[in-house]
This record gives sequence, structure tokens and C-alpha cells, in this order.
Amino acid sequence: MNKEIKKYVCPYCGEGFDTTEGLKGHVFKTHKGHGLPVSEGGIRLFINKAEYELKVEPNWTLHYLIHDVLGLTGSKQFCDQGACGSCTMIVDGKPVLSCMMLAIECDGKIVETVEGIAAEGHPLIESYAKNHAMQCGYCTPGFVVTSKALLDRNSDPNEEEIMSALAGNICRCGTYPQHVLAVREVAQTLKQEKKQVRG
Amino acid sequence: MTKQSEIERARMVEMFDNLRADKYTLKEYKYIGKKGPRRTDGLAKASGEADYTMDVQLPGMLYMRFLDSPYPHAKILKMDTSKAEKLPGVKCILRYDDPELAESANLGLLPIFQNDKPLDGIAHFEGQPMGAAVAADTEAIAEEALSLIEIEWEERPFMLDPIAACEPGAPLTFPERYMDGNHWNKGVLDEDIHSDVKKGFAEADRVIEFKIARAGHTWICPERPCGVWKWNGDCPEIWLKNQRGYVAKKYINTWFGGIPMNKIELHMLYQGATFGGWTHTDWNLGGLYCAAVASGRMKRPVKYVFTRREDFYGSSMDEGIYFVKVGFKNDGTIIAVDSILYEVNAIHPVFGPVLHLHESTRIPHLKGQTKSIWVNKGPGVAIRCEMLGPVLTQTMVMDHVADELGMDPIEVALKNDGCKGHNMGWLNEKKKERGFEVRDSLKECIEKGKAEFRWDQAWHKPGTRKLPNGRMHGVGFAWTHEWSDSTGSGEIAIRIERNDGTATLLGMHCDSGVDAENTYCQIVADELGMRLEDVHFNPQFDPGFHLNSPDSSCGMSINGWLARHAARTLKQKILESATSPSSPTQRGSFSPAFPNTSPEELDIKDSVIFVKSDPSRRISMADFARPMALQGPLTNTEAFGTRNAWMEPLCAYAYHTQEGEYNPKGPREKCCRQAHFMEVEVDTETGEVVVTRVVNVNDVGKVINRMSCEGQQYGGSIMGMSRGKLEEVVHDPVTGVMLNGNLIDYKVATIQDVCPISTILVETGMGYGPYGLVGIGEDIATVVPSLLAPAVYNAIGAWINEFPTTPDKVLKALGKI
Repeated sequence: MNKEIKKYVCPYCGEGFDTTEGLKGHVFKTHKGHGLPVSEGGIRLFINKAEYELKVEPNWTLHYLIHDVLGLTGSKQFCDQGACGSCTMIVDGKPVLSCMMLAIECDGKIVETVEGIAAEGHPLIESYAKNHAMQCGYCTPGFVVTSKALLDRNSDPNEEEIMSALAGNICRCGTYPQHVLAVREVAQTLKQEKKQVRG
Repeated sequence: MTKQSEIERARMVEMFDNLRADKYTLKEYKYIGKKGPRRTDGLAKASGEADYTMDVQLPGMLYMRFLDSPYPHAKILKMDTSKAEKLPGVKCILRYDDPELAESANLGLLPIFQNDKPLDGIAHFEGQPMGAAVAADTEAIAEEALSLIEIEWEERPFMLDPIAACEPGAPLTFPERYMDGNHWNKGVLDEDIHSDVKKGFAEADRVIEFKIARAGHTWICPERPCGVWKWNGDCPEIWLKNQRGYVAKKYINTWFGGIPMNKIELHMLYQGATFGGWTHTDWNLGGLYCAAVASGRMKRPVKYVFTRREDFYGSSMDEGIYFVKVGFKNDGTIIAVDSILYEVNAIHPVFGPVLHLHESTRIPHLKGQTKSIWVNKGPGVAIRCEMLGPVLTQTMVMDHVADELGMDPIEVALKNDGCKGHNMGWLNEKKKERGFEVRDSLKECIEKGKAEFRWDQAWHKPGTRKLPNGRMHGVGFAWTHEWSDSTGSGEIAIRIERNDGTATLLGMHCDSGVDAENTYCQIVADELGMRLEDVHFNPQFDPGFHLNSPDSSCGMSINGWLARHAARTLKQKILESATSPSSPTQRGSFSPAFPNTSPEELDIKDSVIFVKSDPSRRISMADFARPMALQGPLTNTEAFGTRNAWMEPLCAYAYHTQEGEYNPKGPREKCCRQAHFMEVEVDTETGEVVVTRVVNVNDVGKVINRMSCEGQQYGGSIMGMSRGKLEEVVHDPVTGVMLNGNLIDYKVATIQDVCPISTILVETGMGYGPYGLVGIGEDIATVVPSLLAPAVYNAIGAWINEFPTTPDKVLKALGKI
């Protein structure tokens, strides 16, 4: 038996109603405070603390969405197959390869890109510049994002931990030794700041 | 009396094709050679604000992708693009038989590509971009459209092995270009005969022969090759990933019946690494040419992008088989070397395998021959750098001789150091004639390196030191001269900005990541007497001046002169202006900033002009550089009782040129040396080679940007060890298809491969560049790969003359497989 087709469909949960009043009542009762509903094929995500509601194609990667559609070009595409770390973003607190994640999977997730890290004045940016932890610079944002994710979970990593965290990031110019210096220096700064706060 | 600014210009011309020590160095340096100036591009690159050509998006922009040949040698007989044309989002398809596509166009730096078809109908290697190009709304649509093109191919026989390709009756690999055989350079730039090797071998106590094999490796630049073409009427606006802006413009200038130079607007954004490589290939500018045609048809900007895999097709100029014969005395003096290199697809094989032995040893009898063999792989081009082959030969010759005699390779190095077949006494006389302080560069490098590396404790007889972890310990040593002798020319201008008196360098230049912008600013700041923060250089836009580009090993020895001469000339102009009346018009002029003073009495320091005998008489550059006369009727200052004291614009330009000296007949003697030390541990069960320590010692003559030099040392070492032990492009011998054209299967060094690297800079001042400098950008990445062989030999006592030194080769050398 065919399911009865209702005229008015709730954009939040898909429940059908015969009248606008019915739909209105349902929305007020059930979805009050839920914000605007996301349209079909759309996702809502938080990028660098700003809320976005976006309609995405099913084949779009997170990198494509953020770099090409939103124009946040800090994330770089190098290998395009999850082998180099240049497109790393922090999603729900974890570093992920944005070329390997579909945008449509990111509904409701919190995304942090290098632009967000720079905007919050994170000391990694200055430390990278000061320590020449870059040459051509194309892979640098990926390193910065991966390092930020490391420092978020371990504010005082040792050399081995830094090298382990950055093992998936490729720098063809060979700037690797400087990344360890840059991250260690930031860890020291963060430690000092913590001490001062305690003091 | 001749003005000092004119004297400075005369000195600039005097230094063209420089053959002697810099007579006019500065007395003191505030920024040059000092550690510390932060990279000018540092914050932009770390924060993701630095834009690369891959990041460019313009309204209405289309994306262009290319068909790749599935066969190593094949011709398109028929092509049906009808299905692709119907795909929604496809806007334009170019075909190889398109009547509007030129039959030939200038498509590259190298002469061989200067008469090629932008979109060929015949492929000479698998993966060659050819046949068709699709412009669509997105890259994904363009890619899908390419898969819908139906093609009838004529498959042709192919060859991958350079030795087999030389045999009589071997199928022709590129009959359209080389109809007389695959060894195409017979008698063309192929021999470098120094003397009588037969006589040399007769005089030798011992003669050895060995063979080296080097598998191809490639550039792996992080940014994919790309560019954007946008027609603004009949003026093209172009964004280009390419390391040579001027050369690209020079060729674009010839396209479509001729596009005037002054109508070509070029943007060279940050470059996601270059290393040569891609810039030299024909499909680089071929892609741009196709984008230009599609852009003209669609009246929309077109961005062409090559895939990561497409960027793998192209090899280094050391790929091939080397046959080496060496004659030497029992005391380690080498008498003769004869080497033949069967080089894969070298497109300008002018650098014979014994070139470095010629330039930096006393070996009297040398013969080197490069047979360039065309096989069905991508072209062999200069990739950081074209000296890989000659350096490999030098290391292997020196270390094999040391091994045969049971000598320390450092002793062999010092015994054979020299130049063009002459000993150090001859070279020292030449140093004197050139005006250099006579110093023994190799000895100084070795002493510093040995101490840092603790060589005397580390070196041992081959295969004799087992470590507590069960691995075998080994050390290796390699040396050669420094290089800065490429052909090159450049131009630059510097202007003093009005209102704040800051200085701007004007010149287009490829940013290859070596912090060159800061380096030129350091020179200009010291020469002008300005604060470093008051000097700025953005090389990404085209003001009509072009520096020698990129800053590989030869940038500083050319562009350093530009920056210095422009700054010196400008400084004199400033001082002359400060002592002359300003605002000269028919209504009169204002008195000078320093009345009754001559330019010689003034100096500039920390961006302040002052009288040397009375520093209290001073004016800052900001106060001196007055605003331009105000513009508009309401700004007539005379109406308000004053007169606008404008001044003439302050700017200067400089240029430099030098013929390349990578030429056995070149007049320069190379005086600066470099020495590198490597320690390895070899697991004899798995064959794994672990590099545990590297020491780089480079005599750069004079350090300008210290952190940049060190960056080239550790960065070059890491790239070098990656090439030496990991990197090779693998082709399937049955199908001719590349098997590892991606970053998962083609291994490059990661941070986990990094070991402690000591970077030591020596400054003997014996370079022909300004302040006595030589280059450093390519050296280390070129020398370090060769170190794997002597280091692994020292560990296991068996030679591995094949590169890269992968575990299977180690196990084979140990007789385990």
C-alpha cells in the first residue's frame, strides 16, 4: 500500500503534515532552538569557530570544499592520495587528511584549518617563521596543523614524539630538522605561560 | 670630476664575466653573513596566506586536463571525442589534429623543445600528456570527459634499456626526432677529452675497471604543475608555475604570430618547489599554450593542471650505466680516468662523466664520453642538478682507488686535489693571479669536517666494525668543488619610496624557497646603509626587470652583483641628491638637505643620512624622501604661502651577465671545495641501510644569508640521502608502464629518516661572485647521494655500485639472495 503523501514536510525530521498550522506546531514543539534546518544534500559544520551551512556534492572532499569552494587556500594539495599530509586539517580534535575525507561526512563536525590557527595567534606561526621551518612553503601549513594537533593533546612533546606525529608529512625541501626545533620552542613557550599563570 | 655614481656603474660593467677576486668588498657588514633575519615570507607561508598558482581561482575559470598515452610508444590513428563533448560541464576539447593548434611552437628552455607541437599525436613514453586536452567547469568533469574519448592507436615497439637500445637493429624509440638511431648525440657534445688516457694507463701502477648503474629518480615538486591564461583583449594575463619567468615570456612572445612583450602580464606567485625538472619539459609550456587557445575560444580564463602522476614523467640527468676505468700509482695519485656514460634521455649531454674530475683534480689524463640514448621514458632533465653524473663518477673513482690501496679516502682526496690536470702549486699561482688570498679550501673543509665527524675514530677497514645492535657500522667521504658557474644574466632596479624613504627592489624572480628575497635585501641594506626592515622585495610581479632565475646554485653569483651594484649606484645618487638643490623648476629651487657639503662627506647608516665629520648633522631617509608634488587644484601649497618641496625620484638599476663555465675550456679555475661525511648502520639480515650522521662542510666563499645556506645543507643532505637510498622510478619492462608514479610507491625521505646533520660553512673568499661568494643551492643534494656507496662499502666490505642502495642490493652484495 502506498504511503500517504503529506503536503507539508518538516525540514528537520521529514515528518509530514496536511496543513501549515500542523507543521508549524510540530516545529515549535519538537525543534525549538534547533537553528535553521539543513536543506537536502546539505551539511552544517563549524570551520575555525564559524558556523557554515553548505550544500555539497557527494564526491567533494573536505579539501575541495574548503580550498576550492570556500577559498581557504592554506590547506594544500600535494599527493592527492593521503600520502603527504599537506592538506591536514583538525576535525573534532584529530588531524585528518582532508583529501581523503568526504565533505558530506563532516556534517556536525568542528574543523580547524591553518587559517584558524593563525587567526588565534598560535605561537607555532611565529616559531615556524623564526626557525626557517620552511623553504618553498607549500607543505608548511600541513606541518603547522599537524603540530598544532600534537600540542593540543601533548603540550610538551619530546623529539621522538614530534617526529612520530609529523611522520606523515612530506617536505621535499628537507626542512625536517627545523620542525622539531620550532615545535619544541613552542612547547617551551607554552610551559612558561603555564608557569606564569600558576605563579 | 667623475661622479661616484658613474664610477660605480663602471665597476658594474667591469665585473661582467668576472675572472678575478672582488676588489670592492665592504669594510663592515651589519646584515650580510649574520644569523637571524627572519624570512620575509615566513609568516605568509606558515599561516597559509602564501598563495601559489594552484590556489588561483578567477571568476568563470575553466579547468583543463590532458590525455595521457597508455602506451610507451604509439600513434593516434583515429579519435572520437563526441561522447566527451556531450558531457555536461565540458566547454572545449582540443585535439591533436585541431587546425588551429600550431604545428610547432617554442615550448621550453632547452633547444630540443623549441620546435615542438603543443599537443602531439604521437607518444614516446607511457603517460605522455598528448592527443587531447579538455577544458571544463571542474577538474573532475575534465577528467571524466577524457575517459570518454575513444581512440584507435597504432602501437609501436618500445625500448627502456639504454644499452639494448644502442644495439644494431634496435627499434627506433623516437623516429620523428632521431631517425638515425637511438644514440642520437654521436659527435654532438659528447666527448670531453683532456689528454692521452692510453699513455696515462701505461704510466699507472694499477688499473681497475668498474661499472655503475643509476636508476632514474625525479623531482617531486609539492605543487602540481599548473598555470592560468586569461585574455584581456589582446593582452594575456598569465599565472605560471615555472622557475624562469623571463624565459617563459620570451617564448610566449613568439606564439600566435607574436604577442608583444609589453602586452604579456605575468604573475609568478610562490612556487611549490621547482628543482629545475618540470620547467625544462615541453609539456610545461605546451599546457599553457593549450590553455591560451581554449581561453581564446571560450572567452574565459583557463587553468591547466597536470596530475601528480603526470608530474613523475621526467628523470634526472644521471640515469644510466657508467663504465669507468682508472689508472693510479701505488701512493694514491690517480693518473688516468676513462669513462663512458650511457645516459637515459639526456637532452643536452654536455656534461661528461669526468667533468668534475677535470675541474677539481690534478689527474692529467681524462676522457669522458656521454652517449645519450633515447628510450621510451620521460626526458632526462636537470634536477638539482645536472652535475649528478660527474659527481657520482668522482666519488666512485676516489673511493674505489682508496679501497684498492687500503688508504683513507681523505688521503686520496688531498693527494689528487688540483685543477684541470694541474697540481695545487699551479692552482695557487692562479689564485694569486686572480687576486684571491691563497688558501687550501679542501684542506680547511676536511679539517673542520674530520673534527666534527671524529673521522679518525670512525673510519675503519671495510666490513670490520659490528655494533652492539648487531648492525655493521660504516662511514663514507665525498668531495668536489663548489659551483656557481652557470650561464646567466639578470637585471634589477631599486627605488626609494616617497613619504617614508623605504627601498623597494624591482625585478621578477622565481621564489624557489631559498629565502633569496631576504638575501638580496641583506645586500641592499648593507650597501645602502639602510635598516633591513626598510628594504623590501616582492619578486612575484613583473616590473620589466628580471633576475637570473631561479636561485639554484648560480643565483647569488649573478643576482648578488645586481643587488650590490644597484644599491651602490643608488646610494651615490642619494648622496648627490642630498647635496644638490631640490625642486628645480623655472620658479627656482630649494637649498640642498646638506648645503655646502659634498657627497663624499656624507654617509648613510641605519636609514639616516649624516655628515661623517659631524654626525649631529643628519636627516632620516623618511624625512629626506619627500612626497610627490601634491596633485589637484586644492593642493596648491603656494596658494597657502608655501611651496611644495618635491624632489626627483630616486632609483637605480643594475645588470650582470656571465657566460657559463661548465666547459673544460672555460677560463675560470674553481678554487672553493666542499667535503661531506656520512655514517651508516647496515642490517645484514634485512639489508636496511640507516643513515645515522651526516656532516656537511661547504666553502661558500662568503656567507650572505647564513640560515639559508644551512637550510641548503641539511635540506640537500636529506634530499640527497633520499635519492641515494630510496628513490627510483620503476617501469614495467613488458608494458613500458610506470609502476610507481605516486607518493605511496615512490619513496621519499620523511622526518623519520632524518639523522643528526652538522652544517659547517667555510669562508675563504675564493669565489668569483660578489664578496668572493660561490653558490650552494644544488651542491649538497647532488653530492650526498653518491656517499651511500662508500659508506655502505665501509660497513659491509662489498661494493654496491648500483643506486639507489636498496635492501635487496645489500643482501645481494652480501651473497644472501
